[in-house]
Amino acid sequence: MVRAVLKGVLAHKLRLFLTAMAVVLGVSFVAGTFVLTDTINKTFDSLFNEISAGTDVSVRAASGFGEDAPAETLRDTVPASVLEVVRRVPGVQTADGTVSGYAQFVDEAGKAVTTTGAPTLGFNWTDPDLSPLTLRSGREPQRAGEVVVDAVTAKDHDFALGDTVKVLFRGPTEEFTVVGITGFGEADNLAGATLAIFDEGTAQRVFGKVGRFDSVEAKAVEGVSSLDLRDRVRSAVPPGVEVVTSQQVADESADSVQQALGFFGTALLVFAGISLFVGGFIILNTFSILVAQRTRELALLRALGASRRQVMVSVIAEAFLVGLFASLVGLGLGVLVALGLQELLKAFGIDLPAAGAVVRPRTIIASLVVGVGVTVLSSISPARKASKIAPMAALRGTGVEQGGSLRRRSVAGAVVTAVGAGAMLFGLFGGGISLVGLGAALVFVGVALLSPLAAVPMARVIGAPFPLIAGMSGKLGRQNAMRNPRRTAATAAALTVGLGLVACVSVLAASIKSSAADIVDEYLAADYIVSTANFMPSISTDLAPRLAQQPELAAVSGLQTGEWRAQGQSRSIYGADPASVGQVLKVDVTAGDIGGLARGEILVGEEELKDKKLEIGSTLPMTFARTGNQELRIAGTFAKNQLLGSYVVSTATFDANFTDRLDFVVLAKARAGTPPAAARAAVERVTADFPNVELRDQAEFKEQQENQVNQILGLVTALLALSIIIALFGIVNTLALSIFERTRELGLLRAVGMARRQVRSMIRGESVIIAVLGAVLGLGVGVLFGYAIVGALDDEGIGKVVIPGGQLIAYVVLAGIAGVVAAVFPARRAARLDVLAAISHE
Amino acid sequence: MQPATPLSGSVVPAARGVDLVKVYGQGDAAVRALDGVSVGFAPGQFSAIMGPSGSGKSTLMHCMAGLDSITSGQVFVGDVELSSLNDKELTRLRRDRIGFIFQAYNLVPTLSAAENITLPMDIAGRKPDQVWVDRLIDTVGLRQRLSHRPSELSGGQQQRVAAARALASRPSIVFADEPTGNLDSRSSAEVLEFLRKSVHEFDQTVVMVTHDPSAASYAERVVFLADGRIVDEMTSPTAEKVLDRMKSLGD
Repeated sequence: MVRAVLKGVLAHKLRLFLTAMAVVLGVSFVAGTFVLTDTINKTFDSLFNEISAGTDVSVRAASGFGEDAPAETLRDTVPASVLEVVRRVPGVQTADGTVSGYAQFVDEAGKAVTTTGAPTLGFNWTDPDLSPLTLRSGREPQRAGEVVVDAVTAKDHDFALGDTVKVLFRGPTEEFTVVGITGFGEADNLAGATLAIFDEGTAQRVFGKVGRFDSVEAKAVEGVSSLDLRDRVRSAVPPGVEVVTSQQVADESADSVQQALGFFGTALLVFAGISLFVGGFIILNTFSILVAQRTRELALLRALGASRRQVMVSVIAEAFLVGLFASLVGLGLGVLVALGLQELLKAFGIDLPAAGAVVRPRTIIASLVVGVGVTVLSSISPARKASKIAPMAALRGTGVEQGGSLRRRSVAGAVVTAVGAGAMLFGLFGGGISLVGLGAALVFVGVALLSPLAAVPMARVIGAPFPLIAGMSGKLGRQNAMRNPRRTAATAAALTVGLGLVACVSVLAASIKSSAADIVDEYLAADYIVSTANFMPSISTDLAPRLAQQPELAAVSGLQTGEWRAQGQSRSIYGADPASVGQVLKVDVTAGDIGGLARGEILVGEEELKDKKLEIGSTLPMTFARTGNQELRIAGTFAKNQLLGSYVVSTATFDANFTDRLDFVVLAKARAGTPPAAARAAVERVTADFPNVELRDQAEFKEQQENQVNQILGLVTALLALSIIIALFGIVNTLALSIFERTRELGLLRAVGMARRQVRSMIRGESVIIAVLGAVLGLGVGVLFGYAIVGALDDEGIGKVVIPGGQLIAYVVLAGIAGVVAAVFPARRAARLDVLAAISHE
Repeated sequence: MQPATPLSGSVVPAARGVDLVKVYGQGDAAVRALDGVSVGFAPGQFSAIMGPSGSGKSTLMHCMAGLDSITSGQVFVGDVELSSLNDKELTRLRRDRIGFIFQAYNLVPTLSAAENITLPMDIAGRKPDQVWVDRLIDTVGLRQRLSHRPSELSGGQQQRVAAARALASRPSIVFADEPTGNLDSRSSAEVLEFLRKSVHEFDQTVVMVTHDPSAASYAERVVFLADGRIVDEMTSPTAEKVLDRMKSLGD
């Protein structure tokens, strides 16, 4: 039996190829995601290990968030005296203090040297025994006014020894002479980050940490283990200082990267899952058609004594072989996909360091299991159908899928759709994201079950113009699309999934864009918005005060944001200049006075106040990473403001509780009566000295928000494109199988005078109808999904649903064009049939 | 044994073949399905081609109808020589000047009986001659069934639709390949009666391949084939005469 199956599979190589493609693409996506994230993880792992390679123990301020605070937590500094304490601990061979912060180079053209996501780091030159830095040329920085640059930045921006370069800091911009160029271990830089290295005194000064260190690193003498040294140092240092092994620091960093990547990997896997889900539809459909076409053959097997079980197993075995073959090919392609994904993400501004390609056993196992699993599961229903074929069917003629009543199927479809919709809504309004995903998948399955009901009327409407355009070929194409509603619907369903999600995301994006514009109108009073390209908190604290001095401007406030915790939960806090924030933002303070917000006081949003049962005048216990537990007095409350969150303090209060304060945005309002050109020129006069910032007025700001949403929409659409391509393969496959089934009919049509061109046009018509049918169903489902999700996001300030009509129509047109493309190959095959052979085809 | 009459009088035959040779395969495996056949079919005549299986009768019909290519010789439909035509021209010739009735699977399942009848004209984008089509429909007796799909028609009805389709565009010649091969005797009689009527009353030209002597008896002239050659010809055949002749051919 197995040999018969194997022979059967190999006898139809083309069919094998088309069917396998659906699985190959999905599996390659899964494998590619694993390869990419594993590679990035490994790159970071080795990076962090390299950073801590020379040291055994790290001494740093304890975090207010406790011992398991994530690596990115901003800690307080430790006094320089700690270094002397550590150096005196027996067993310490060398120790040195590190101090680091934001430092961004400015190139010759006066533009800030930016990275694609990696930080722009500055720190002090430490003992070479402890440091991962390796000087390539020149020497270490020894005095004020000297800087060492990483090799990549030096090369990219032509920084040579002896050159004078400008560097941006939190405070004023300064000039330095390049005295050395360094690598990072073997590498030329640190995972894309730019490095500026100063002598200790300069670093402490420019980072605002005079007399202090971020951490003290120590290396043990031979014979003393890291753990021993840690315990020894621990007993020597003053309270509030934490001593950990360098390995732990590396692990914390690696963990935090892994966690960030984990989210990212999950997101990619979701898209891979969607592709496989679509692939499953196609496998199911293909095997259903194959079983129907082989009814006679299978019945003959039954008549010759094969049991039901054997027939069923033969179908599943074929699926298994196809799945295995496809998974292996997909796994191989996965490495290429990993590279492709990396390029795709880079195109959308997410640049991740990845060296080589890491293929873990987990990747291989997961790819095979998922690929074979999806294929085999999808073949079970057709296999069961096959096993129910009566031996008598061998004697009855045709092998066309039996029609039968759609009632049971439709009832099941309605139930599944309802359950899916319910699960989705429940998930959206509090049940969690995985419930939303499960619900959405169920809705798609339900719609697929229901769609044969809609297939005939919809195909009739969609295909209505065809007879007018292409005459008889158009008419026959339309009839062919309607003759087997199950098949048409199942083929279209694969496209429904992809386009449904694209439509949903489009609706979401359009709604977010419109709400973002509304938020600007409703809450933003400032005329000018100064920020970095990606709203990172890296605007010099010098900028806002200098803007405030411009006579053309009435009010200027920088905004800061940070994390605090209460009962283990993380929340955001905003810092602003109390004197001016009320003029740059439309804050509706309903109790208290924002202008008089003093040190140690906080404004809490009305909803939060009510929610947490807080009272004005009482104190709010808060935990900060740097300062630990603090109590702030609630000085007032304000109506919901999308731009200011729920907790607002003065910049002074913010500074007292956070290290390395940098503004993420500076807002400025022009003085009344000042011509816009003059006001803008005033802002530009100041921002010219800060090459890492960009200036926008309200309209430009809205446009930028829109662009950001568009970019995400583009990325998601690109990732969904794969599932759409798979769906198109499904159309190709179905058409090819249908043509095979209709060989005699095609022969007849050719015999009575249908030209090849007309045959092609007929197949094209059918293909376009299937594609547009799938697209229209998908858009319908997608728009409803969009409504549901926007409804659930009401709290996030996305108030109203916007349906991007033009865009959705464009999708339908594109689907039609895709239908034409999908028909190319089957149409050519059909047109090339030998008339005589076709007529006498059995 | 007489040679086939090439031409009768000055009338241009509806179709004729000259020295037709059709070889399948190559070398030792080569089979001469047609071995120098010359035959003409006069307009307004109902002819039958008979012969044992493997005699080349279907091949002859396929070659005459432009469905199959010949190895050597010439085929004319009217005054058009087929070997000079490319696929597009052949397709148009089949569409406009030849009618087909096959043994089975003559109808497009997605089209109604009426749509099937006018299919060649619809493919050509031409308006059918409605008076003529109506006459055909009434003659085959399918007026009540016009809106039915093929799956809702009996085998005999389907073949009558096919026959009406073959004649609907007033072709120069209708080729019927075992048109009654799958039918019971009553349905066969209906189809054959219609074909005879179409020749006698409507002045059409029909060439039918069959191995059934009683079917052949409806024709005015029977051409016998054996081993790729024309071995005999009979006018005004009866079933008995045909059967006798066939027996002598060793069927």
